[in-house]
Amino acid sequence: MSKLTLAIPSKGRLMEQTTDMFARAGLVVRKVGHVRGYRGEIEGLPGVDVAYVSSSEIAAALKSGSVHLGITGEDLICENISDAGTRIRFLQKLGFGFADVVVAVPTCWIDVSTVAELEEIAIPFRRKHGRWPRVATKYINITRRFFGAKGFGDYRIIESAGATEGAPSSGMAELIVDITTTGETLRANGLKILDDGVILKSQANLFATNAAAWTPELEALCSELTGKLASSVRQTVISRI
Amino acid sequence: MTAETVQNLEALAAQSQTVMSVFIKAGYDAVAPAIIQPADVFLDVIGESLRARTYVFTDQDGAELCLRPDITVPTCRLHLERHADPTTIARYCYNGPAFRFQPQGATAAHPREFRQAGIERFGDEAREAAEAETVAIIIKAIEKIGFRDWTLKLGDIGLFSSVLDATGISPNWKTRLDDAFLRPLSFREALKGFAVGVRPPSANFPEELLSSLRRDDMDASEAAVAVYLEEQAIELIGTRSLTDITEHLIVIAEERNEAPLDARAAELIERYVGVSGPALTAGEKISTLIKEAPSGSGYALETYDRRLALLANAGIDLGRVSFSAEFGRTLAYYSGLVFEVNAASLGPKSPIAGGGRYDGLMRAAGSGADIPAVGAAIHSERLLAAMGGKAP
Repeated sequence: MSKLTLAIPSKGRLMEQTTDMFARAGLVVRKVGHVRGYRGEIEGLPGVDVAYVSSSEIAAALKSGSVHLGITGEDLICENISDAGTRIRFLQKLGFGFADVVVAVPTCWIDVSTVAELEEIAIPFRRKHGRWPRVATKYINITRRFFGAKGFGDYRIIESAGATEGAPSSGMAELIVDITTTGETLRANGLKILDDGVILKSQANLFATNAAAWTPELEALCSELTGKLASSVRQTVISRI
Repeated sequence: MTAETVQNLEALAAQSQTVMSVFIKAGYDAVAPAIIQPADVFLDVIGESLRARTYVFTDQDGAELCLRPDITVPTCRLHLERHADPTTIARYCYNGPAFRFQPQGATAAHPREFRQAGIERFGDEAREAAEAETVAIIIKAIEKIGFRDWTLKLGDIGLFSSVLDATGISPNWKTRLDDAFLRPLSFREALKGFAVGVRPPSANFPEELLSSLRRDDMDASEAAVAVYLEEQAIELIGTRSLTDITEHLIVIAEERNEAPLDARAAELIERYVGVSGPALTAGEKISTLIKEAPSGSGYALETYDRRLALLANAGIDLGRVSFSAEFGRTLAYYSGLVFEVNAASLGPKSPIAGGGRYDGLMRAAGSGADIPAVGAAIHSERLLAAMGGKAP
């Protein structure tokens, strides 16, 4: 029987939290072979093959169907898979990796607190500066969809690989679309979130992809795994209350 | 339909040669701007919506480039490279490929690679005459190819402004509606909303500061905003200046005190936006509604009538000309006249030529100020298709 492949983050906080969550569900995830290797297994679930993949590449693996399941942030799925609605199944929210994708503008823009007001300044801005306001972001598709749905098109995206919060003060862009958890980094960089500027409240999810080859056996194994993780997530939520 | 066969390529080349000869004879300099262009200018001018239609790529040095989606912007850049003084009067013509991603898939009428033969005229202050001449030269070139069964559709973004003047509404209302006009999706809804007031009170703004701002004393107003920011320990960052922020706050303050849009003005605006049909009939409709307008200024109407007279003088048969008030609203960079030439066999969605006035484009390309600019291009493959695939 072919195995159920599960991609989990290969390093950092997201990997630790994933391992912890599995442990709470009574599942021990461990590496197979060399400790620096990228294959693993789950004790008690021999039908599952674990692949350690960098979290940004998990979306690509789900998109192509090279894995059946993956644990990553909703933000990365929405950004990288344009047809996520049909291609990807959201199996279980995991209760960690919380991050909001938000529109943030300089706090000194006391005249702008909604997307509608942002739209109002776009034309005067262009009249004065000869170009549209620039939005620094690594979430190009999410940004375009969000503004597009609000009928706002008078902006220009500047791709930003990192330190996006610094773009407005350094003059690289007028505003940003980025992730934030507490808002502390935004505040430290003189930015505020628009009132209607929370695009996505993201957290880590267990995703399945329809692009992979599924058999009834694999589906059954997937349900078993999802069930165990779901009860672990519920317990965590209750203990937090 | 790209040139897939040698015959096709030869037919296109022969057609373009004839078209270019008409342009050159009319006094336009033949130029060949670069096919690969910096993406910046296009994206800055036309906004993010164009990125979805443009082949943008990054070269080995990390520069963001594109395959030109039209030849107008490249010609503006060429003009700026040639002339230290961008107001220099110049006339250019070109013939070559342009590229557009077709989200619905490339088709014969909407290919991703197509040829444009066109003209651009910069710096000419005699705007109305230059516009009529541009239309006339394009029609002449099309007829020289042997295609006579054309129709001409006109629009004018600037005319809407003049109609607003005639309604006698306040400057804030005028700016609001002028800006909203370019967003047809939200325009009708906005117009309805405006009947109850442009900006309902909201908790978002510092009330005391707002009430202290005055348009006729910008210095004091800016100082008040600066004091407010300091009190709130907000640092001024980014490219929007204290003046930019203050000006918008003043607009907000004024709009909150503005009386709702006059119902009569709203009705006139709705009626104007709905004007569409044969150019002469449309002129009568505009005339009727201007006469009913509170301030009754005939400025818009004079502009309209003068344009038709200039076109008639240039030899255009007005019986083949139609006008639509809405036409041009969604075409990014046009600022005044906009027109397209259609062939019945290709349908209204595949014009064989199009163009208009775009005085703001040169500024975006780097001139530092608006420059009078009018131009148009023939879609070579479509013209050839309208001719049944045969060159003259």
